[in-house]
Amino acid sequence: MKTNGWRLTETEWRSWLEGLLRAGKSVIAPVEENALRLFSPVTSAADVVVENYSNTQWSPKEFLFPRSEPLLFYRFRGDETELEDPGLDDKEQVLFGLRPCDVAGLGRLDDIFLGESADPFYEHRRKQTTVVSLACDKAEAACFCTAVGGSPAATEGSDVQLVPRAEAWLLQALTPRGEELIAGSASAWTPASAEDWRQAEEQRLGVEKTIERSPLSKDWAPRLEETFAQPLWEKLGQRCLGCGICAYVCPSCSCFDMNDEGNALCGTRCRSWDSCAFTRFTQHASGHNPRATRPPRYRQRVLHKFSYFPLEHGERFMCVGCGRCLKLCPVGLDIHQTVRAAVSKGTPGEGHQ
Amino acid sequence: MAQTLESSEARAAVTQANEWQPRIVAMVCNWCTYAGADGAGTARRAYAPNVRIVRFLCTGRMDPLFIVKAFEQGADGVLISGCHPGDCHYVQGNLLARRRFTMFRALMDFLGLDNRRLHFAWVSASEGAKWSRIVDEVTASVREAGPLPNWGRLGMGMANPAHSSPLGHSAPRLDARVPPSTEDKQSISSHLQQLAADLLRNGEISSVVGYSCGTLPEQMVPTFVTDPEQVSALDWSEHCANNLAVYLPDALKKKGSGKVAIVVKSCDAKAVMGLIRENQVKREDVLLLGIPCTGLWQNGGLALKCHSCSREVSPSSDWTITPNGAQKGAALSEAERKVGADPRDEQIGILESLTSQERWDYWQRQFDRCLRCYACRAVCPMCYCNNCISDKHRPQWISTSFDGKGNTAWNIARAMHLAGRCTGCDECTRVCPAGIRLDLLNRRLAREAEIRFDYHVDEDVSTIPPLTSFRPDDPDEFL
Repeated sequence: MKTNGWRLTETEWRSWLEGLLRAGKSVIAPVEENALRLFSPVTSAADVVVENYSNTQWSPKEFLFPRSEPLLFYRFRGDETELEDPGLDDKEQVLFGLRPCDVAGLGRLDDIFLGESADPFYEHRRKQTTVVSLACDKAEAACFCTAVGGSPAATEGSDVQLVPRAEAWLLQALTPRGEELIAGSASAWTPASAEDWRQAEEQRLGVEKTIERSPLSKDWAPRLEETFAQPLWEKLGQRCLGCGICAYVCPSCSCFDMNDEGNALCGTRCRSWDSCAFTRFTQHASGHNPRATRPPRYRQRVLHKFSYFPLEHGERFMCVGCGRCLKLCPVGLDIHQTVRAAVSKGTPGEGHQ
Repeated sequence: MAQTLESSEARAAVTQANEWQPRIVAMVCNWCTYAGADGAGTARRAYAPNVRIVRFLCTGRMDPLFIVKAFEQGADGVLISGCHPGDCHYVQGNLLARRRFTMFRALMDFLGLDNRRLHFAWVSASEGAKWSRIVDEVTASVREAGPLPNWGRLGMGMANPAHSSPLGHSAPRLDARVPPSTEDKQSISSHLQQLAADLLRNGEISSVVGYSCGTLPEQMVPTFVTDPEQVSALDWSEHCANNLAVYLPDALKKKGSGKVAIVVKSCDAKAVMGLIRENQVKREDVLLLGIPCTGLWQNGGLALKCHSCSREVSPSSDWTITPNGAQKGAALSEAERKVGADPRDEQIGILESLTSQERWDYWQRQFDRCLRCYACRAVCPMCYCNNCISDKHRPQWISTSFDGKGNTAWNIARAMHLAGRCTGCDECTRVCPAGIRLDLLNRRLAREAEIRFDYHVDEDVSTIPPLTSFRPDDPDEFL
């Protein structure tokens, strides 16, 4: 049972945010422009939108892993090539109002970018980042965090967590970094009681009950891999149209492409998001494409998240159950259902070719 | 990002004079205007030095993306010039170019680019004097418009509550229309299943492209049935959003001996006929299963495209499936259907009432948010190119990086490629995760094709899309 933490009003946490902005931190939080909810740097705490439960249209990963980022600038001078480092921004950023699934998504990006050889751009940005999560008091029809090991009030990865309750907000710092973030303001707040946290726990259980999708098992990873060459994928991926929505709104998708933008004299080498659903993702210079049609591309997406990644990184799926791809897929592909169908229809023993 | 190709000497000279000078790119044809400009030089005619000439074989070769590229790279204005009508070295290149330019100009005007930056002219090889006059005029006009404002130079496109859309976002209502009753939907579904099973059994068709229930509330998703035992997957409701025509070219490649049957709303049928018009699909390979449509319901309201739609069943239907049964041919309803004003036209009107700068800012904010997921392309039945211009790298017209310039170029290219071809199903807009109003761009250009070229996209497959044809007397008052 958690006993520390605070019980505060909305005005109190908004003025805390205002204080962070005044202290020169970049605060990134959900805001709405014409009913489209997105994470965005805010200039005033009043702009932060937490009402009418819904997750943002896409995940906040772009603040650690930008859609496109310059890796270097180049310029040709005669036979010489000058290279220039784009440099790194030292401004500290606070990611505020991330749902626990999006926080889990950052954890997956950490697995990828901070693994054996850390990516310097990501690592730098990650060190400048403090995460304030917002526990869920509702779930949407597409939510399935509990099916992939998450929870509507998971705290892993958060430095501070805010829990909305009907009558007040509960807040707790979970890491020294989080403690530091609230240090200036906490003295004025009312401490939360054990009863407050008991009720928050009840709220979590209540929300979990409304998430109907059944758990996916990590033990399925080898079985899923066995389905690789089986014809069922033709059917499962048949209606995929090959757009990049699922990968681009996903909190854990981390594939990228590197490309030069420039002309004969100078240019920029960029790293940009890429999606396994695109034809060009696996296209060779020769023109040959090992994933020549859309179903194998969809298979790659599913198996990467539910088979290859857990096999490689131990216990975690590369899916956090935020449900965005289910909601936004133009043809209603449901990755949760696909995994279940592949496991139940796949023929055990007929392995990878 | 220091990457624009700037002529530093030229810029330095300008700065020395301490005064902004317009930079204009002139794209001219080799046979007439280039020779004309040469003539002007030989005759020692003085004209404004602001124009950089790029020589092409024909104005008909010019892609709107060339103009986009010029602006991207810092041009303040663009002039296109070629042979007079009737003089084209390739007979009709200039006349096709005129139509393309007409459309492009309308699009750029709607996007908020000042029209004083875009010019088109006929200058023959003997018209050196005209060339020098036109360059002076164009330079004066671009000078009046001033330096090009931000072209794709906003930051990464996040939401900002300070920018409320001029369009608002309240859902317009059309009370005359109601969704079909549960009984009607069930009858339609069961008649559809019966018909599909019969046609599959008798070998007339080898597969059906239809709808079935998705995993989210109210969601309907595309489904493919090839086995008469599996027809129970087919379903129908007022939430059947997808335009299934997008699957036709692929389904036909895989088809067996029979035709491919496709479930269509009347708007979807226009796309099927569009594919037939453009020789992507053969009429005899397709069986259209028309379902009387009372409109598509999205987020609790009638889809914008449905308000002005008066067509319940496509006249091209090979079968019509009503709650009373399936009958051969198109069973057109006799009662006149109540239609409302098209809310998209009203919104286009709102945008057109703004100043061009306001319009430019509005669209730049939209494009800045574009994720380049290419869902607009993926769901579009008329986007069937095997190798999309945005995937081409040599040369690269549209940046791979997600930046304002590439996003702007992509959205312009998409709209232009569909100009006069878009069937108005609005699928691109439904699926856009960034909420960009592509439907307004498409519709604005469809209207331009109607006004300028008297062309209306419908089910007649014998018409020629307006940008692949011309009339010698096409309007060109913008010259």
